[in-house]
Amino acid sequence: MSNNYFNTLPLREQLEQLAKCRFMDISEFPDGVEALKGKKIVVIGCGAQGLAQGMNLRDSGCDVSYTLRAAAIAEKRQSWKNATENGFTVGTYEELIPTADVVLNLTPDKQHTAVVNAVMPLMKQDACLSYSHGFNIVEEGMKIRDDLTVIMVAPKCPGSEVRNEYVRGFGVPTLIAVHEDNDPKGEGLALAKAYAVGTGGHKAGVLMSSFIAEVKSDLMGEQTILCGMLQTGSLLCFDKMVEEGIDPGYASKLIQFGWETVTEALKYGGVTNMLDRLSNPAKIKAFDLAEELKVIMRPLYNKHQDDIINGTFSRVMMEDWANDDKNLLGWRAETAETAFEKTPAGDVEITEQEYFDKGILMVAMVKAGVELAFETMTAAGIIADSAYYESLHETPLIANTIARKKLYEMNATISDTAEYGCYLYNHACLPLLADFMKDIKTDVIGKGLELSDSGVDNARLIEVNAALRAHPVEAIGSTLRGHMADMKKIV
Amino acid sequence: MTIRLEDLTVNFDERFQLDNISWQIEDSQHWVITGANGSGKSALAAVLAGAGQQLSGHLSGVPARVGLVSFEAQAELIEAELKKDDADIMDVVSEGTPVREVLLNGETDPALVHELVGKFGLENLLDRAFRKLSTGESRKMMLIRALASNPDLLVLDEPFDGLDVDTLAMLQGYLASLVDTVPMVMVLNRFDEFPGFITHIAYVDKGRLEHQVARADETAYGELYKLLHLKTTDLQVPGADPETAIPVLDPSQPLVKLNGINIKYDDKAIIKDLHWTIERNQHWQLSGPNGSGKTGLLSLITGDHPQCYVNDIFVFGFKRGSGESIWQIKQFIGYVSTALQWEYRVGTGLRNVIISGFYDSIGLYSKCTDRQRQIADQWLALLGMSDRADQPFNKLSYGDQRLLLIARAMVKHPPLLILDEPCLGLDDMNRQLVLALIEKICASSETSVLYVNHHPEDQISGIDNYLELDKR
Repeated sequence: MSNNYFNTLPLREQLEQLAKCRFMDISEFPDGVEALKGKKIVVIGCGAQGLAQGMNLRDSGCDVSYTLRAAAIAEKRQSWKNATENGFTVGTYEELIPTADVVLNLTPDKQHTAVVNAVMPLMKQDACLSYSHGFNIVEEGMKIRDDLTVIMVAPKCPGSEVRNEYVRGFGVPTLIAVHEDNDPKGEGLALAKAYAVGTGGHKAGVLMSSFIAEVKSDLMGEQTILCGMLQTGSLLCFDKMVEEGIDPGYASKLIQFGWETVTEALKYGGVTNMLDRLSNPAKIKAFDLAEELKVIMRPLYNKHQDDIINGTFSRVMMEDWANDDKNLLGWRAETAETAFEKTPAGDVEITEQEYFDKGILMVAMVKAGVELAFETMTAAGIIADSAYYESLHETPLIANTIARKKLYEMNATISDTAEYGCYLYNHACLPLLADFMKDIKTDVIGKGLELSDSGVDNARLIEVNAALRAHPVEAIGSTLRGHMADMKKIV
Repeated sequence: MTIRLEDLTVNFDERFQLDNISWQIEDSQHWVITGANGSGKSALAAVLAGAGQQLSGHLSGVPARVGLVSFEAQAELIEAELKKDDADIMDVVSEGTPVREVLLNGETDPALVHELVGKFGLENLLDRAFRKLSTGESRKMMLIRALASNPDLLVLDEPFDGLDVDTLAMLQGYLASLVDTVPMVMVLNRFDEFPGFITHIAYVDKGRLEHQVARADETAYGELYKLLHLKTTDLQVPGADPETAIPVLDPSQPLVKLNGINIKYDDKAIIKDLHWTIERNQHWQLSGPNGSGKTGLLSLITGDHPQCYVNDIFVFGFKRGSGESIWQIKQFIGYVSTALQWEYRVGTGLRNVIISGFYDSIGLYSKCTDRQRQIADQWLALLGMSDRADQPFNKLSYGDQRLLLIARAMVKHPPLLILDEPCLGLDDMNRQLVLALIEKICASSETSVLYVNHHPEDQISGIDNYLELDKR
């Protein structure tokens, strides 16, 4: 069984690693891809993320090829097609890994132990191994050969965006890190920076972090606000609306597409903008509900963060891996049977504004979840920049998967690690909110306030607006979004 | 049944309004809607297919089954496809919807689809994802989809754009065979493309239906022709930016050298063993039927085609795949094509779109200089868009977008200017403007022009090298 790396560190170093996160200025990348020039890059895995990164690196002048398991090549699987159709050399581990100066491991978390154990003996002396997620190192305690440099480069967007933004002449925000135990020649940072330049990330903003900060914040974000809160919220809001006599088709649609719509406002202008989309009375209502939710849910967020920090979460999850994913598969099946999941979205027109007006509770849940996740992470020593990316920034991406095919799609698209954490959260949060939900009526979910007079008390409105804007997630959010200011609004 | 628009005012997305339209289409009539770029031609056609929000007036008699071909209808399909595509948080690369599925959508007559696929020569493309089709091929697919839906009204917005000469003749003939069964309304920019069976012309200007002319009325028809054919004034190409320096190229080297290149899709060769050298100061015209690989060939040069790495290609002093980046290649190229226009889905302002030509980006991500702004403003003045400098690009009509992308391609006075059917979607007047600009650029010594088109009459003086691709 694995050995939790984080827990082997003294407290002083744990704190130092958790607090590592710094936004790098574009002027810190004067050498471009120089550190990778003349080096042979071999990518393991060719899904969307692997393909996008490889194409970008090649278009930046790097030498890229792909290695796949022998079976994937022999059977000409999709990953093989992705790589060969785009003019890449593809070979087995045995053929390509020994030639590689840099190996990019872009396979899913769960396969890391097997993949790394297979490739490590084949790797050249003094080569570099790159991860896009640090779970294997931090939680499973994978020991990498002493001569190898270990880095992480993680674009914070799905593969198609990584490619599209590059082609436009831009990039996506990217996190980089060096595993300090494996930086024998002190070249880890230079390699990680060059890699981020090669995928276009330096134009959109690079966060210099640590393996530990990345893992502990990523796990926290995905299981609480990102997946857990949206799943719990979906189930509660749907059941409430049906109980109150709202047409199930309408309710299903309001939730399925509502998360995407309200978090789109979040993406552009933070929590403040999301609430600004509501009428004044609705905004005050959402604010009050969120305050109430935060009090109820705070202990749960704390528990998730504590379990992540001390390794309980990953230990329990890995026990389930060893037990043929019994829990995971059971919970997945259970989710498929929920009323929300089984009710197709009705054929009704819902305007963009209506999703806000009739989804006040959903807005409140997003606000509460984002702020709690952010507050809990920063209280655990994670820097605000990291906490922002792992909470607010990624929420719209996950909401987008629900808009496609509901919870099934969300849970299918996220990693098994995120999915496991999501179920844990969901099972604890549903009973926690039972009393709260008893007092909820259709004015905040399903019908909207329907007021004839939308007047509010000036003093109260000023207070609410000030509180919204004063939250620390808003300050860091506007700074980080500012770095991407010229950017898009791609319609 | 007569279609009646009575004092109809229709709003489109806050950006455009058709005002007080009164118009009547009889069963036996076939109309062309024409007018300048941005006048509302496409909007008026789209009203017949149910688009826009009616603010006042009446619309009646529109049949339930309307066959629609338009840029917007195609954009909608692509948009839906893109939505599916970024489902790849799942980490799968989406294959895309095959042409077969788009055509057999339950609303079309399968036998007729089959027949039309034969006529248009799309048999071999039925299993290809429609997003991978060339400009002309996807236009054909849209036409088949509309024609095979047994429509009671055909609304065809620029149906001939992007079609090669043979297909154009076939389609004109096919449409002529339908004149007694279904009324047609077409949006056409080019007078020389008006089919013989057209009975009436509607002329739109600034969202108003200004003239309705029967084809038989020769005097009125002549007047209308003049309206769309003004003299091109003594135009000046705005200068280059002396501060945005493009590296000096070795004059003894060709700009482009392709050595026996191949392009393959699913083992099918589109281009086979082609050798082509573009020397400095040569101007080229590239032609060939739809699907002969013109766009693919060009994207090998621009570096947008992944197969540029498996071919022997030498561009601007770089052997492709030897450690150069695509940005080092693109700095020497100005480029406009339909594919670029599909990619350029950005809400940035018009001035920024032109400035983005200095940076080879889609959207603008760098701080530009005052000089670049000035140059962009000169281009806007030339295009008659000075008053719209900060309006969002993606709200423009197709033709206006095209004009801006042409300016974007020309703005840095690149060593190689690649114009892939640049005049698609342009009205006669703007087409003359663009052709005149291209001639001026050809006459200057700094730029080599590589020009793709289907229209024999759009000749450019100064181009004296020709490459013709065959259909495979």
